[in-house]
Amino acid sequence: MITLGLDIGSLTAKGVLLKEGQILVKHLIPVGYNSKKAALLLMDELFEKAKIKQTDVQKTVATGYGRNNIDFADKTVSEIICHGRGIHFLLPEIRTIIDIGGQDSKVIILDDKGNVANFVMNDKCAAGTGRFLDVMARAMETEIQYFGELALRGKNPSKISSVCTVFAESEIISLVAKGENREDITSGIHLSIARRIVSMVKRVGMKPPVAMSGGVALNVGVIDALQKLLETPVITTPLAQYGGALGAALLAEEK
Amino acid sequence: MKKENNLQVFRDIAREPYAYLRQLKQKTGKVMVGSTCTYTPEEILLAAGLHPFRIFAQSKEFSLADAHLQAYGCSMVRGMLEDGLSGDLDFLDAVVFPHACDSIQRLSDIWRLNVKSLHFDVLLPVKLDSELSKSYFVKVLGRFKKEVEEAFSVEISDANLRKSIALMNRLRTLLSTLYELRSQSPEIIGGSDLTAVVKAVMVMDKEEAEKQLQALVDVLKQKQPSGSAKKRILISGSVCSHPDIYHIIENKNAVVVWDDLCSGTRYFEGLIEQEEDLMAAIAHRFTERYVCPAKHLGVKFQMENLKKLILEHRVDAVLFMLLKFCEPFSFDFPDIKNELEKMGVRYIMVEMDQHNKIDEQMRTRIDTLLEIL
Repeated sequence: MITLGLDIGSLTAKGVLLKEGQILVKHLIPVGYNSKKAALLLMDELFEKAKIKQTDVQKTVATGYGRNNIDFADKTVSEIICHGRGIHFLLPEIRTIIDIGGQDSKVIILDDKGNVANFVMNDKCAAGTGRFLDVMARAMETEIQYFGELALRGKNPSKISSVCTVFAESEIISLVAKGENREDITSGIHLSIARRIVSMVKRVGMKPPVAMSGGVALNVGVIDALQKLLETPVITTPLAQYGGALGAALLAEEK
Repeated sequence: MKKENNLQVFRDIAREPYAYLRQLKQKTGKVMVGSTCTYTPEEILLAAGLHPFRIFAQSKEFSLADAHLQAYGCSMVRGMLEDGLSGDLDFLDAVVFPHACDSIQRLSDIWRLNVKSLHFDVLLPVKLDSELSKSYFVKVLGRFKKEVEEAFSVEISDANLRKSIALMNRLRTLLSTLYELRSQSPEIIGGSDLTAVVKAVMVMDKEEAEKQLQALVDVLKQKQPSGSAKKRILISGSVCSHPDIYHIIENKNAVVVWDDLCSGTRYFEGLIEQEEDLMAAIAHRFTERYVCPAKHLGVKFQMENLKKLILEHRVDAVLFMLLKFCEPFSFDFPDIKNELEKMGVRYIMVEMDQHNKIDEQMRTRIDTLLEIL
């Protein structure tokens, strides 16, 4: 049986095709302004990659912010459940997942079967999200993919107290004006996002081992800052971005 | 023959409460007295022949209010002020400001200077549970009665007060019967309809409201419960002005069986007992019922009340819906949350603005709670 998991996030649409518990192909494209269009395009590209037809797919589960737009899915499931399921499949020992996406961040606690036991999600604004890092990378004139490495080179992280993306950016401009170096400021930015996540982890109650999923898991600076503040290893996987889509495909297989 | 229910009457009034009030004033010539909080002693206003109604914050966009109040303040208070400044309340004759929370107290000051209407303050004590505060509250109500009499040149007789107390008690009993019926058989009336009924009763002519409510209760009592097994949710918090919430919950095979909201049970909870001193009788209902966290009795009181509701209504999960920047609720939440965890009751807390739509972030959280139940 072939199942499809679609995770239509705020910035990227991710898809995983699953065959008998094995990942057939995975794919990712930007969402743009039309989540349904993005989902259809993503599917076309997935099927082409896997060399299958749409009719070969038995079940589809959609997740992510755009899930309710995907009317051809057999079922929609919230991305918190899907991330839990996906990460449990990849890393079965994990009990705490930190998922930082484009516009929100979540901490998910799993039981030993990979079911969500508890969760917490930021709700105020872009503080502590991928979008925050995007804005800050631009202010530091770095490509987002090198931003984490730049943070690791900071020796005396700058102090950034604002959690608001807009205010933090003006705080950074002041630091630049004061002549603080780019590595230290970048390191400070990563610590500030990590501090915000840590407060969420404490609120829900951390259960080790801890893993990170979502796009921001690719940023080594955030992982490093989280490890320091949580005083525990933060595990990740190259498939971290596909946690939600994989979980959706697995749930499609189950039901 | 199956009798049709009269839900549409309530739905229409709840959708356009101010249009209803404008018409009511034209038809009856009654003096329209807005209230900003459920601590308004409506019995006194009714006994004076006035028409009390709740100001809802119907405005969906704020431009005038934000010249007086910061954007990071209570959206309900900002919305009420916007209604006042925009002319939507052009039929308004007077307003009552019970001093419940800081925001309503300040709204009273801003209103006095900027909106043309008669103005009454009801100076509630900070705590309502001490003997001293109770006797003070009785005096406050006595003064309010006197102010109303002077402002409208009427005498509020004990006979009329007894009548209005009896009428409000009957209304409260009917609303509470309606809630109980729904808790027993949730499928007989949708959650958004139930909210519409309470909202409509808050603005309707009270005698008309009694008639319509009685008719609705009679019809709903005839409905057979289907006994479907749905997850039972309790909404706790300040107000819920988002009928969509009920649809989101109902689409996930769950149902809201009770609330402790200012827009819900807090309006009708507790009856006024027969007492010689009528002001004391009215005051006692306010001090005995579940209180708004702005009038603190300690978090233990809030928790005990919530525990009682959870057990009585076999609640599977609690959805805390707080207005953003409503501090009294936020102060209590961490302790309440710990108690719920000890009880093994699932919960989530969402914060929202009164006028904003439910966004995908909030929906994701509500969906997840319902999916893991």
